[in-house]
Amino acid sequence: MYGWIWRHLPGNVWVKALISIVLTLAVVYALFQYVFPWAEPLLPFNDVTVNDQ
Amino acid sequence: MAVTTDETDDVEEGTGGSGTAPPRRGMGRIAMAVSVFGELLITAGLVLGLFVVYSLWWTNVLADREADKEANKVRDTWASADSGPGALDTKDGIGFLHVPAMKNGEVLVKKGTSTKILNGGVAGYYTDPVKATLPTSDKDGNFTLAAHRDGHGAKFHNIDKLKKGDSIVFETRDNWYVYKVYDNLPETSKYNVKVLSDIPKESGKKKAGKYITLTTCTPVYTSRHRYIVWGELVRVERVNAERTLPKELR
Repeated sequence: MYGWIWRHLPGNVWVKALISIVLTLAVVYALFQYVFPWAEPLLPFNDVTVNDQ
Repeated sequence: MAVTTDETDDVEEGTGGSGTAPPRRGMGRIAMAVSVFGELLITAGLVLGLFVVYSLWWTNVLADREADKEANKVRDTWASADSGPGALDTKDGIGFLHVPAMKNGEVLVKKGTSTKILNGGVAGYYTDPVKATLPTSDKDGNFTLAAHRDGHGAKFHNIDKLKKGDSIVFETRDNWYVYKVYDNLPETSKYNVKVLSDIPKESGKKKAGKYITLTTCTPVYTSRHRYIVWGELVRVERVNAERTLPKELR
């Protein structure tokens, strides 16, 4: 999978490495900005109140 | 791993020259599937690791930033509006909680305990299922609060450091309300709403009084149970022009 991506990136090793870093950062950003905030309320780690439901 | 794959390739397809051709060219279908599966597992592990970083660090950064902004707004309102419509401005927060034993500075207090409110790095006072009695109302009752133990500011992270006799000070525009901790409940069910009663019987109190109740989750990093701390009002001090801290906070 990652090998496939690496082979399909354009340019020489340095350009590939640079693009890889940018792609990784983009993925991490998307996770922190969209995926995790969406997933967090669905997971049972963050209820702090007492309630009767 | 790569070496083994090369060898199988040679046997299966007989292409030979394993040294010259890129090893992935003739990778068997099963080997390919296993390799992709493995990479997916590694990816999943990294994503879960990142989620931990997100929950325990990044949400704190965001929440603290938001709470600081809100806190400044409240302080500004207090400083400017001398003859404003009273100290009860519930939108931005009603005051600050200072708990020296928790060593986390001041915690902004807002109305409500919904996830949205608490995720802003504040402590919320209960409106549901039992309405909190605000100290500013001067009535007997229970000032019940909740905040996060981990992530989103983690304002009650050190709640277990609170011992009997420790002070909890609630600051409004006009008053310092000084409470002393008298009891706690290190673990209780999340359905135990009786801890929020006006007279919290589980803490041994029988008579009406001015109480404060802090609730959060326990053990740390989970939401399995609830940790409760009870305090009782010992005195109210007027805020002076310099906002001199009461002796408990000095």
